[in-house]
Amino acid sequence: MPHWGTDDAVAELRRALSNRHAQADRLRFRNVLLRVIRRMAQGADVSGVFAEMVKAGATRDVVQKKLVYWYMGTYAALQPGLALLAVNTLRKDCSDPSPAVRGLALRSLCGLRMPGIQEYIQQPILNGLRDKASYVRRVAVLGCAKMQKLQGDTEVDGVLVNELYSLLRDQDPIVVVNCLRALEEILRREGGVVINKPIAHHLLKRMSDLDQWGQSEVLAFLLRYKPRSEEELFDILSLLDGSLKSNSPSVVMAATKLFLVLAKDFPQVQTDVLVRVKGPLLAACSSESRELCFAALCHVRQILGSLPGHFSSYYKKFFCSYSEPHYIKSQKMEVLCELVNDENVQQVLEELKSYCTDVSAELAQGAIFAIAVVQAFRDLVWLCPQCTEAVCQALPSCEEAMQDSEGKQALIWLLGVHGERVPSAPYVLEDFVENVRSETFPAVKMELLTALVRLFLFRPAECQDILGRLLYYCIEEETDMVVRDRGLFYYRLLQAGVEEAKRVLCSPKSDPSLGLLEDQAERPVNKWASEFNTLVPVYGKACWAIVTANWAMEPRCGGFHCAAPMTAGTESLISEGNKEVLQVHSDSAGLTLIPKAHLTAEQFEKTWLSLDVNCQQALPWRGAAHPDTIQTALQVVHIQTIAMSKAGAQPWKAYLSAQDESGCLFLTELVLETENSEMQVSVKQSEERTEALQYFISVLRTVMGTVLGLKS
Amino acid sequence: MSASAVFVLDLKGKPLISRNYKGDASMAEIDHFMPLLMQKEEEGALTPLLTHGKVHFLWIKHTNLYLVATTMKNANASLVYSFLYKVVEVFSEYFKELEEESIRDNFVVIYELLDELMDFGFPQTTDSKILQEYITQQGNKLETGKSHVPPTVTNAVSWRSEGIKYKKNEVFIDVIESVNLLVNTNGSVLLSEIVGTIKLKTFLSGMPELRLGLNDRMLFELTGRGKNKSVELEDVKFHQCVRLSRFDNDRTISFIPPDGDFELMSYRLNTQVKPLIWIESVIEKFSHSRVEIMVKAKGQFKKQSVANGVEISVPVPSDADSPKFKTSVGSAKYMPEKNIVIWSIKSFPGGKEFLMRAHFGLPSVEKEEVEGRPPIAVRFEIPYFTVSGIQVRYMKIIEKSGYQALPWVRYITQSGDYQLRTQ
Repeated sequence: MPHWGTDDAVAELRRALSNRHAQADRLRFRNVLLRVIRRMAQGADVSGVFAEMVKAGATRDVVQKKLVYWYMGTYAALQPGLALLAVNTLRKDCSDPSPAVRGLALRSLCGLRMPGIQEYIQQPILNGLRDKASYVRRVAVLGCAKMQKLQGDTEVDGVLVNELYSLLRDQDPIVVVNCLRALEEILRREGGVVINKPIAHHLLKRMSDLDQWGQSEVLAFLLRYKPRSEEELFDILSLLDGSLKSNSPSVVMAATKLFLVLAKDFPQVQTDVLVRVKGPLLAACSSESRELCFAALCHVRQILGSLPGHFSSYYKKFFCSYSEPHYIKSQKMEVLCELVNDENVQQVLEELKSYCTDVSAELAQGAIFAIAVVQAFRDLVWLCPQCTEAVCQALPSCEEAMQDSEGKQALIWLLGVHGERVPSAPYVLEDFVENVRSETFPAVKMELLTALVRLFLFRPAECQDILGRLLYYCIEEETDMVVRDRGLFYYRLLQAGVEEAKRVLCSPKSDPSLGLLEDQAERPVNKWASEFNTLVPVYGKACWAIVTANWAMEPRCGGFHCAAPMTAGTESLISEGNKEVLQVHSDSAGLTLIPKAHLTAEQFEKTWLSLDVNCQQALPWRGAAHPDTIQTALQVVHIQTIAMSKAGAQPWKAYLSAQDESGCLFLTELVLETENSEMQVSVKQSEERTEALQYFISVLRTVMGTVLGLKS
Repeated sequence: MSASAVFVLDLKGKPLISRNYKGDASMAEIDHFMPLLMQKEEEGALTPLLTHGKVHFLWIKHTNLYLVATTMKNANASLVYSFLYKVVEVFSEYFKELEEESIRDNFVVIYELLDELMDFGFPQTTDSKILQEYITQQGNKLETGKSHVPPTVTNAVSWRSEGIKYKKNEVFIDVIESVNLLVNTNGSVLLSEIVGTIKLKTFLSGMPELRLGLNDRMLFELTGRGKNKSVELEDVKFHQCVRLSRFDNDRTISFIPPDGDFELMSYRLNTQVKPLIWIESVIEKFSHSRVEIMVKAKGQFKKQSVANGVEISVPVPSDADSPKFKTSVGSAKYMPEKNIVIWSIKSFPGGKEFLMRAHFGLPSVEKEEVEGRPPIAVRFEIPYFTVSGIQVRYMKIIEKSGYQALPWVRYITQSGDYQLRTQ
């Protein structure tokens, strides 16, 4: 047997294709064609028989036609000259009496991705749009979008667009949805298909004819429609009520999103909607399809962000089943932790405890799983102190499963804070101290130091010796300076007396994750409604920001003055050279900010609240914000910092003020939601002067760009 | 949604077949899929959504295949997963088992199907009966009792073609209730729910109008029939053919059905019911020597009913050997590849109690890795019985040609995710 795709094989196929006897016998010839297609499917290059295949396309046999058309779709771009020969056959087939053949030919014609094809496909597409068979119209409508894509940057054909808009009234439901899809692609530059009142109401009327794909997409298109009155809004909501109960999870999700977005000014309606999708969402969470179940769980978590405890009475639905994949178990655990309340805490903890020893198929997964559990325990302690007791009882069972630094840290932290109630705490910590030499993560050692010092304050007799050994190790043997410093610090702190040490160490606010937890509570629905039913909640907002961070950077950096990255340490802030750069910018911009315009915080707040936002922009950003650097940089261009969050706060915020010579105030808010995304800038102006505002923005951009440059 | 392409890959990540719908992402992107999947799996961070650069991979696994949709858009994940499952469903209808072998054997049909299922990245007709009109190759399956179907010119409804003809007009109604159960180690029921579905198989000519009558409590209350023998359905969901407005108005379930098999509706019942088959187990492990297992199964349903095909899987340690069994009824079989013993009982009458004992040897050298504690899983089927007591009161079939059609009804209760945790 010849090797796939070698010249021999192609020559052999060519011979077979031009064999007159084979051509005469339909079945035999079809077999030859099948051989060609099979090789093509296997990735071999059989473009060498293109001419023969074009000839084979001139047939009445539909099966043969199909085979030939697939072949052409694959190789036309490689053989544009020969492909033009095929175009004729295809065009002729576009007026075949059978609608199946017409549709097939038109789809294949539009699928030939080769230069110069447009002039040949335009007429068949226009005919197709008016074809009496819906099958052909469906193909023709999407053909319009394909044609536009082939043409690239050329102007949009207004006549065609109008034709598509009128086809929204087509009888066939798939033609209707395809029209929306095609218009969306064709009009992308102008912001996509326009959904005005007649179109919106027409789509609402057709909703029940559509299949689940159509419904999901139409619901997404309707997001664009703004009802004129409250009455209309509620009419739409009641018309679409059935979609919330659809048997297709994707329709339920799309409908939920539409409801949340349309009712953005009616929090009560939003809450009501979320109550009503509870059932469908729970059903999706126990769906047979793991992937759908996963997507639903991610969305449940998003809802919980705004309505904590929303699913509390159904917490048992989120108990893990033994054979579920890790990604579902971990989502369920996150959900469980958020559903904990006074009544179910005991059951939830019992359940979580049983997961600690879960060793699923892979040991690695099991370990990570257990870590997540302990972290969840820690979060529980913060969220509801009354369950500490139960957590403490559960703790000793999971120390053996710890493998990874984060899990160890979480466990050590818990033992430190609540060790007085865990009888075995000093001995568990002792194990860690014994093995401290082989510990690779400084963070674990630091956590261990803090925990042991704390525990020592409550149970001195049991801990004194262990603590002594640990301190000795940290001060005398440890090579990591940060750990050593921490060791010395505690040593000196203890020298200052037990009471003093207690005062420093026993304030409960030492856990950094606390801030995060507090912030998460009660995010308004409108903050995430627009992201609902996209990939964002499936990834988690923070992960999504990281995934997409690089995309946003690339295209925008072009038009943005990025100061050359400075290698000087960020500590020394801005060098003289940079100051000049900034100075030049602010002056040449035609806007002079006066240096001594000081606003008090109260004045700022009052003015800020009385003004509307004049300009909102996003600046590219990555990493955390360094308040000192930013403040210094802003001072250089005479922008005063009124208030700023601490480094690492999430979201990070800053309020700025500046005044120009004419006395116009520029009040600015900077918001950095998560690291590695964009910085949101909102500017308010005391007098509306667009030109000055633009200059001000450009100054701000330059400053922030320079700061960004300094960091990297 | 707009998918860029759809791929079917083998377990090693090699593309078996693919279709480039949009041409906006390079087809070579798929080469990143498998390394990414393995990397994430290693990190314990595997999810059904992976991203490489700007290309998102949404994937599902079916037998020994990966089905992957790529997209450059911030798509609606549930829609993409539903579509991939639909692809699996349609393929399976054409060639029974969807697996690597059948992909290779049927690649022409697959090309045809992929062509019709999606165009330019948008789902088109996905109803397998309607698809049939455009597929030239014969699938290995798909038996039909109907005569020639003319190509669709215009569909009044997207789920049914006009001009369908059968010699004998019949409807088969299956009422299936699955019981999901999770019982904790201490014997307390953590979770118990019933998921009901009503599935139809229609062999009806023309455009028939169907009306289904159930002993729905809401309906009975509306019509003043009292609560007797009625069922309170929660979370009812219908196939899109059902006119929801009518159901909301007067609880009438009326529809023009698709041709062939489809799921008409589903519902849930959260009322706690006594577990139909109750299991008590004692698994005693004597390190370095043996494991003794005792399992007691009790049928907690009506005496007149019989559970068929009962299979009770009991976990055993992976290093167990030399199995010995003793059962009061049925037979036990050791499945070393799954580390379970399956105790099968062909027919299990209600109210009865049966016992199985198993004995395994353990090696004297204990293996190092810790083992999980898999639950006991039970499978069963109880015909002519529904836990909820739901009943089909009537099925009216009206077609303008006025033919008589026969409805057939079948009830069945079966195990869903039915698990009892072990010590």
